Amino acid sequence: MPFAYYDRLTKAQKEIYRRSDGITEVRLPRPAELHPLVGSLDVALRTEKRDDTQRATERLIRGLTDALAIPPVKVEVLAARPHAKWGELHGLYTVERGKPPTIQLWMRTAKQKRVVAFRTYMRTLLHEVGHHVDYALLRLPDSFHTEGFYKRESSLFYQLVPDAARPDAKPAVTSAEDWARVPIDERLARLERTPNDLARLMRGQSDAALSRRPATEAWSAKEVVCHLRDAEEHLSGWMALILANDDPVLIEAGAAARWAEDRQYARQHAGAAWDAFGRRRDETLTLLRALTPRQWQWSGRHARRGRMTVDFLLSLMAWHDDDHVAQLRRALRGE
Amino acid sequence: MPSMEEYAKQSLSDRRNRLDRTPDELAAAISGQPAATLAKRPAEKSWAAVEVVCHLRDAEEAFHARFQMFLAMDDVQLLPADADRMAIDRQYLRCDAREAVAAFGRWRAETLQILRKLTPEQWKRGGTHPQRGRMTFDDFLSLMCWHDDNHLDQLRRAVAGQP
Repeated sequence: MPFAYYDRLTKAQKEIYRRSDGITEVRLPRPAELHPLVGSLDVALRTEKRDDTQRATERLIRGLTDALAIPPVKVEVLAARPHAKWGELHGLYTVERGKPPTIQLWMRTAKQKRVVAFRTYMRTLLHEVGHHVDYALLRLPDSFHTEGFYKRESSLFYQLVPDAARPDAKPAVTSAEDWARVPIDERLARLERTPNDLARLMRGQSDAALSRRPATEAWSAKEVVCHLRDAEEHLSGWMALILANDDPVLIEAGAAARWAEDRQYARQHAGAAWDAFGRRRDETLTLLRALTPRQWQWSGRHARRGRMTVDFLLSLMAWHDDDHVAQLRRALRGE
Repeated sequence: MPSMEEYAKQSLSDRRNRLDRTPDELAAAISGQPAATLAKRPAEKSWAAVEVVCHLRDAEEAFHARFQMFLAMDDVQLLPADADRMAIDRQYLRCDAREAVAAFGRWRAETLQILRKLTPEQWKRGGTHPQRGRMTFDDFLSLMCWHDDNHLDQLRRAVAGQP
């Protein structure tokens, strides 16, 4: 059943509409390769910084156009959405003769100026990419909002955010292996942002809220921060061991749950733990930024994960940050 | 209090027995003491009793990890550890001393398990300590005996309010 405006279209337009409506999916060749870029965008949006979001958006859209072997588009991320009686503008795709097509996205709501939710932003992004796909990949002379168009948008969304299809959907957290495909600078930037990500989430929370476990076996926000602090010491210790030895064995210290119990995380102060984590993180970043290209490839042996280079440890830390920032957010929501 | 060199002259079994006694000695030293006493530093730069116990707990975990490395590779270059920083970062003063002794006891039992299974050849394995140079399992056993003595003494002084 076509949408109501179909009856007002010309014969040629109706033909385009029907072609568009008949295509319900756009298959990405290797969607997992784009997951780190989706994760980065999620993180960048949470920083609420336009520049970070612009860069992450550009990389994801470029990744999509490359994957689909279609020409790139110009991307502009703007602040508050324009609005009028007709509502708010979320995104815009424009093509002008003699200029590259442009996608504009707004990252803040019109009235409250709040940063839009990640999934909403992703939907808008894929909606505008969908128009580009119509012209560049499907070779449609026009790009109509058909049921097929929305299904194609959804098909891209669920390939890029596969967890979203599950009822217990989590934020777009990537694996260490996915992070390993992201440039080193971007991974370092992710590590650098984490203390601020944590601070933003913890700010204004009472000690009781930070100490509350959402379930008997699930850590409180405070325990998550203590864990990140101790893991930072542990993982940077592995890096230092690799730099001081030839292919050392990387020993897994006590299990994380044992640390929490032995070191009495529940008795500790969340702010002081965050402080200690931040200091350790600064030192890790200083160590990593001084590495030569060869040193990035030095490795150690881990019983479960096998050979791990310093480069991979950086990916592991980026994933570990994602995972625990998400856990902390859930803990504060009581989930 | 025997020095590390004097401990080195004792048999392996005597030294292991010394390590085996420490959890009980720690528990006895803090028994009946209120939390405030255990968390009171006798001087600005001297650890409180609870900090001493937490240090022993975390040092034991570190010894355990080093021993696993000695068994898995030849002559590892060991890294320095900053015990004072650990005391601040891990918030030792907020910990419960009795729980820390219990955790220390669990780690100590696991360390002794490793030390009881070593073959004569394995006792010679080791690594390079950042301050002390090359050290074997045998050397570490003496070091741990001395380390226990040293911190038990420090703990008893802290409980008595002496730095």
